[in-house]
Amino acid sequence: MYDQRKIKDKLFFVFVLSVSIIAVTLMLHMIFVTLSNGIPVILRAGLGFFTSIPPTPLSKNIGGIAPALAGSFIMTLTSLPVSISLAFFSAVLTTEFPRNPLSIIIDVVAKSLASIPTIVVSMVIYLIVVVPMGKFSALAGVLALTIISLPYSYTYISTYLRSIPATYREAAYSIAMGRWRTIISVFVPIIRRGLLITVLMTSARILGETAAILFVTGRYRLGVSVSLLDPTDAVPLLIFDYMLTPYKNFQEISWAAASLLLLSYLIIFTTTKFLVKEVKL
Amino acid sequence: MYAVELDNVNVYIEGKHILKNITLRVPYNTIYVIMGPSGSGKTTILRVINRLIELNPNAKIDGSVKVLGYDAFKIDPYDLRKHIGMVFQIPNPFPHMTIYDNVAIAARINRVARKREELDEIVRWALEKAMLWDEVKDRLRSYPHVLSGGQKQRLCLARALAMKPKILLLDEPTANIDPVNARKIEEAISALKEEITIIMVTHSPHQAARVADHVAMIYSGSIIEQGPVSQVFLNPKTDFTAKFLKGEV
Repeated sequence: MYDQRKIKDKLFFVFVLSVSIIAVTLMLHMIFVTLSNGIPVILRAGLGFFTSIPPTPLSKNIGGIAPALAGSFIMTLTSLPVSISLAFFSAVLTTEFPRNPLSIIIDVVAKSLASIPTIVVSMVIYLIVVVPMGKFSALAGVLALTIISLPYSYTYISTYLRSIPATYREAAYSIAMGRWRTIISVFVPIIRRGLLITVLMTSARILGETAAILFVTGRYRLGVSVSLLDPTDAVPLLIFDYMLTPYKNFQEISWAAASLLLLSYLIIFTTTKFLVKEVKL
Repeated sequence: MYAVELDNVNVYIEGKHILKNITLRVPYNTIYVIMGPSGSGKTTILRVINRLIELNPNAKIDGSVKVLGYDAFKIDPYDLRKHIGMVFQIPNPFPHMTIYDNVAIAARINRVARKREELDEIVRWALEKAMLWDEVKDRLRSYPHVLSGGQKQRLCLARALAMKPKILLLDEPTANIDPVNARKIEEAISALKEEITIIMVTHSPHQAARVADHVAMIYSGSIIEQGPVSQVFLNPKTDFTAKFLKGEV
């Protein structure tokens, strides 16, 4: 009887280990392929990769992805605070006042939005922003990215808030702490790591989103645009466009841009893991 | 005048009658112990007194609750709680705050102390009253997870005391801790009654006998007997109380 249990235990351990190894191997393979194709291109291009505009198709010069970098940077930096703040306050509303009709509506809308195909969002933003403005713009991109990222950040934050044991709310109220003070002084610090993960996951989502901005930003690659009202480019759009071309130098740029995106994720996530400590309950 | 007066208080949660016509009077500066078996409604009484019961949206309360002479349900709940500290059954110090801040925050919120020196003084006073000062004085900047369960509970007691409350509610404060820590908490409680009115809930008749001035016996949501501790323990009026005191129920 004991031996049988021991064998089952070992078999289960081997199964879990094997599945984990498969998952990690696939992920490491993806990272390796991307970086091995992309890093040499970045090294060859040097600093110009970050400051130049893309080359012409048959050019021997590698050029750079400055317009896409600037576009991604500006759109992420504008969309992220809007998405996080809206998500935070919505999550607070729905967790603090779950029976409020507005809370119920927000919860339903957030869940629905999360399942809408992102390309549909791009089409809608094209119709309601690009057409009336008469031009593509970073602003349209920001709106599309905010709509796409909002349900994710909302779901993360509300899940973290709901995971706080009720006993801390009782402790806070028992020392005459008000509702908002409890949220700011007790709940937010307890879930600080979760909040930071939310910010990172949302920024990763915004940085990597392609379909949502397909029809709205204009893919402007002739120069660096820093205005929200003008057409712009984004790194994932450039990767998508250039990888589909038959030109070798464009494909190289695509790999290099993908490596850059991947590296930025790896750096952000690793730093967070070591820097922000979880609150021990 | 009583510190707490409950008259015909009924509590219904999701239609279930949890407290039935509870009437009790807690004199100032006494230790009033509510004892009874698990699930009899002891904790609910405490939550009615400081209105934490309202955190449950399904709870309905009727009857009169007077705290320090005021109708508890007619004043602002935060104003009410400024005068009522509470220690819960499971220790719940704020995990993200240091030992010092866990105590100081209660004083800060209730404006008991504002300046740093005043805060230092009140933190020390509260930790001493909770019999924890000697054990934590060198690690006030540590977080509560380094403390044992009993120390955490005494930290919660210190946090409640730092508000300088007039009433202290204790919800089975020694239920989940070792006998040494339990004894320290009982000693701390006994020493506090000169300054504070204490209402404690326990399922242990031995503990009630050790610390109480007055006791109330609650069973299935109703108070079946109450009075000075000697009277209830020496001449219980109901069979259930007699059996409970003997540890038979």
